[in-house]
Formats: sequence, structure tokens, C-alpha cells
Amino acid sequence: MSFVPGLGLVRGMALTLRRFFEPKVTNLYPEVPASIPPKFRGRLQLLYDEYGTLKCETCFQCAQACPVECIDMGGVDTKGRYAIHWGPPETYGERREESALRRAGRTVPDPVYEHFHGIDLHAVDEILEGFDHDPKELLGILAAIQAEYGYVPVAALKRVSQSTGAWYAMLYGTATYYDHLAVGAPAAAPGRADEAYLGALDGALSGRGARPDAADDAPAGER
Amino acid sequence: MTNLLATPSSWPRVLLPATDGGDPTDLDSAIRTGAFEALKTAVRAMTPSQVVTAVAGSGLRGRGGAGFPSGTKWRAAASAPEARRYVVANGYGADPAVQTDRTLLERAPFAVIEGMALAAYAIDARQGFIAVRSDAEAAIRTLEAAISAAEETGLIGPDAVETGWPVRIEIRPVQGAYMLGEETVLLKALEGKRGQPEQRPPHPAEQGLFGRPTLVHNVQTLAAVPWIVNHGAEAYAAIGSKASPGTILVQLRGPGGAGIAEVPIGTKLRDLVDLVHARGRGSEPERPIKAVLVGGPSGGFLPPDLLDTPYEYDALRAVDAHIGSGSIVVADDQACIVDLARLLTRFCADQACGKTIPCRIGTRRLSEIVDRMAAGTPRPGDAALALDLASDIVGSALCDHERLATLPTTSAMRYFRPELDDHLLRSTCPAGVCHPIAVALAGRA
Repeated sequence: MSFVPGLGLVRGMALTLRRFFEPKVTNLYPEVPASIPPKFRGRLQLLYDEYGTLKCETCFQCAQACPVECIDMGGVDTKGRYAIHWGPPETYGERREESALRRAGRTVPDPVYEHFHGIDLHAVDEILEGFDHDPKELLGILAAIQAEYGYVPVAALKRVSQSTGAWYAMLYGTATYYDHLAVGAPAAAPGRADEAYLGALDGALSGRGARPDAADDAPAGER
Repeated sequence: MTNLLATPSSWPRVLLPATDGGDPTDLDSAIRTGAFEALKTAVRAMTPSQVVTAVAGSGLRGRGGAGFPSGTKWRAAASAPEARRYVVANGYGADPAVQTDRTLLERAPFAVIEGMALAAYAIDARQGFIAVRSDAEAAIRTLEAAISAAEETGLIGPDAVETGWPVRIEIRPVQGAYMLGEETVLLKALEGKRGQPEQRPPHPAEQGLFGRPTLVHNVQTLAAVPWIVNHGAEAYAAIGSKASPGTILVQLRGPGGAGIAEVPIGTKLRDLVDLVHARGRGSEPERPIKAVLVGGPSGGFLPPDLLDTPYEYDALRAVDAHIGSGSIVVADDQACIVDLARLLTRFCADQACGKTIPCRIGTRRLSEIVDRMAAGTPRPGDAALALDLASDIVGSALCDHERLATLPTTSAMRYFRPELDDHLLRSTCPAGVCHPIAVALAGRA
């Protein structure tokens, strides 16, 4: 190509001029709302509060809502219980890694994972037969399992899910909600919230103070 | 534990039988005293809409705490276009300190069953569920005996009152969560699900149990229905206050005793408190009343000079308390309000189901703020922060637990500001209850 002085400049300015008269693509958000595809859900991110604790409280609502059951979570729920065991089995290994546990806020192994194996499920099958495999009778089934084993084993939850057709996430959410059920591992005393409240109310009204540990503090104060 | 308090003879009795003697599940003697009279009258001589009109005309309001007009609920349930409807009686009694519902079930099971049958007739339901606390074994036994006796006599069952109209009543023991006292949460538990409330509307009367129109009532509400049908709506409307007629069971607790009483709604709080705080009786000198906690764990503290408030839904809400579980607790000057507020706020925060974030996180933060006040280590601005947070929680509430869980804190701040200021500004506890502060003072002296 022969050298023409100023041709590059003319070409560049021609591009600028063409763009100048093209329709603008800038959206005047928020005056003009952006058109977003209906399935767009933004960027999913778990947030931390100002104290540095994870805001996710492992309520499993998102896992229950997920149609393809792809949500996998771990963490500490509102009652301080450690829960890091929802998801397909092949990801258990990942969740036991140190980084996964750290993300979940703990550096201890998953008790539910430890207790997952080696449970005789014949009693669960009998209970399910007795309730006619009806997911509407779930609370009765879970109470019977709790009475049989002393707690609700995760393996039993899985069997109930298989047999009744209820989603595991739904079952897990239900079983961990009720105070009288101890999921995953035997609890020292499940369902003591009522007695604790009554005892504390007695203490508060009689002037001893409502704190359950008030009795332990008193000798320390006298020393 | 279920001690019935003696009430003035001028107070009318609707719910509990006047005499204590006899077996409450003995159907023959119950029929002699008028049980199932209303059901027979209604089924034989009244149309369902006449029953609904009677209930609406009586002005009966829900005894579960919210005080929703029952007639409106019944109309909505009866007019919802669905083939199948349910009646649910809530006898759960969520407040652990309150035994009114189970006492009613133990002493007057036929009134509840008849009320359910009447409700089922009025809205054309074929099935009723009575939710009872699993640990109320006596109530469950009584109900089982009563239901089977009524079924054998043909008063309920596949051919109720020989009219070919089927109605079945089942007992459903539930347990394990405070939130089950809330109607949509209870429905979730009856469906075998995690107990979390639902957005309303649609109300359960339009879409309730298994998506069908469902009439959810406290057992006390249902037990009043036979009386209304027998004696007429005007007679019921004449009892108690004009805005909310009728009687209610309250669980009283005070230094002078504790127990259950049936009281007309609209009675002055002072008269109720006097039942358990009788002045001049007993060997110990009576301590002055410091506060009255009205409404259970999410109730409000009222100072002694508000004791002339009528015990009535709207009047109590206006002074930052509510009928709630029907509990009235009298605290004398041994108790510390901040300590009590901390206990109640912590309980409400612990029992939050976790569905909405303002309730799940907000009540927890509120409980931490009250903890700091009680421990004598408040941050600057904690008082304003607590009020701000409380109004946010109430403003974004999904259910009544969230709407009321802030009441212990806000009512304590409204009426007991001097005592709160002692904690906030001077780090002292006038009652000497809040422990770290008491110890610190003892060390300094």
C-alpha cells in the first residue's frame, strides 16, 4: 500500500464519526430498568456479618428449593449445631478437607459422617411399614425412629427418603427443626428447652437471676 | 400443677364445668347435663349458614392470642370453593408455663369435640384434627376415651347424629417446638414438615392443611361454640367486654399462688392479679408488685399503675402487652426487669424458626443487646439501637411470633426506664439480681 499522508488519521476519525451517529447502548439505570432474563439470579455469594461470622445459618431452605438438588452446604445453624452433610455422596470427601471445614466455621470432623455407617436398618423398615410409607406421617415416623435408636441416624433418614419419596433435604430440615429429635448423633438430653425456660423463670422471679449458670457463679463470688 | 383458682361467683362459666366431680369422659352423665344438645339442634334444625351467623353474631374471637373474629374465619372457610375442608383444634399450648389448653381437654373434652363437630357442620368439613402436646398424656387419654365414647353413641363418626353426615375427629400429638402455637406452623407439623410459618394471605381458611380450606381454632374457641348455639348469640355477646365477649382461661402465677382461672374478657388486670397476690394473707409480709408480665414469653411488662387496664385484646395491645398464651405472671420487687427481659428475649430468639432474616438474626442481636445491658457492659447507643432494631423486626414480620418477640424488651424500655438506666448508665442492678454487677459492687464496698 502506497503511503498517503494523513490516511490513518482519516480512517480513525471515520470510525469515530460512524460510532458517533450510531444508537447509544448505555442504559440509564435505574431510570430505565435493565432487561434481565427471567432465570438470571445474579452472583451467589455467602456473606459475613460485622462480627466475621457466616450469615448463612444452614437452614437448608435453598437446598429444599433447589429443583435439581445441587446445593451443597455446611455450617453452624441457629441452635449452634454443626451441620455439614448435605449433598451427593461423592462430595463428602471434599467437605472433609480442611478448607471446606474452615469455610464452615469449624475445624472438627463431621460427626454425622462418622456415624453414617454400620446401622441396622431393619427397625426403620418395620416402622415405615407400620406407617404405610406415608410422608404425611413423617413426624410419627421420626419419633418412632428416635425411640428405637435413641437418636435419628442419618442412614435412617436416607432410608425414609428412599421409601417415602420425600426429599432428603426436606426430611433433614424437618428432623433438625424439632427439639425432641437428635439427628446424627445421640444428644445428651434432647428437648430440654422447656425445662430450661421454666427453671430460669423461677430463678428470675425469686430474685436469684435467670441465668442457668447463676448457681455456679455464687461460690466464685464469695471466694 | 393444674390448680383451679376460686373465682368470684359473679363471673360466668362457659368453658370449664362448674363442678369438679365425676369422670369427664362419662358420656351419659355429660349428656344429662346438656352435652351434644347444641350439635343435635344444629344438625336437625339449623342450616350451616345459620350456625355461622350465630357464631359471627356472638362476637367470638380466637382464643389463640391474636383475637381474630371467628365469624369472619368461618365465613371464609365455608365460602372457599373446595370439595374438602378441615377443622383443626389447636390444643398445643406452646408456652411451657401455661397449662390452660390441656386442662380444658382434661376437664371438658366433650365441649371441644362438640365444638369441632359444629364447626365441621358449619363449613361442611368431614375431618377434624386435635393437636395436643405429646407430654400431656392425661389430656390425650381423656380425649381418646371421649372420642371413642362419642363415636360409639353415633354422635360423631360415619353417620353423625343419624343424618348420614360423616365427621371424623383424630388426635394428633405434636411436640418439639414453641412455634407450633402459630397456626400455619401447626398446619406444617400436621403435614409432617418443618414448622415454619407461611405468608398470609392466603389465610388457612382459604388454603390451609394440604392446601385445603382449614378452620384453625384454639380449643377454647371451639369449646365456646356449643354454649353459643344453646344459649344464643346475644347471651354470649352479653358476657365480658363489648368488643370481645366471652370468657377465657388464664394461667396466673404470683407470689401468693398459681393456677388456672376462667375469667370474662374485659376484667381488670387488678382483679386477676388479686387472685394470686392476695394482700394481707399468708404468714410472710407481702412484697410490693413490681411488674406484671402479660402474654407469656413474648408478653409485655406492665407497671402496677396500669393494673386498671381491662384484660382484653385491643386494650392490652395499646399498652404493649397481649393476651398471647393467656399467662399472667406477677413479679414482685425481688425480680429484676432487665434480667426477665433478657430471659424472655433469649427464649424468643432461640425459638425463632429461621424463616425470615429479621427474626432469625434480629431477635438474636436484640437478645445480645439486652445481654449487654444485664451484664453492665452496654455500648453507647445500645438503647436507641434496641428500639430501632425492634421496630425493624416488627415492621418486616411474617408471623405473630416475630411481631411480638420484641415486646419484652420494648415494654421494659417503655415502662421501666429508671431501672434500665441504672443498668445502662451506672452499671448497677437495683434488685441485686444481675450477677456480675452485684459481685463487682460487693468487691468495691
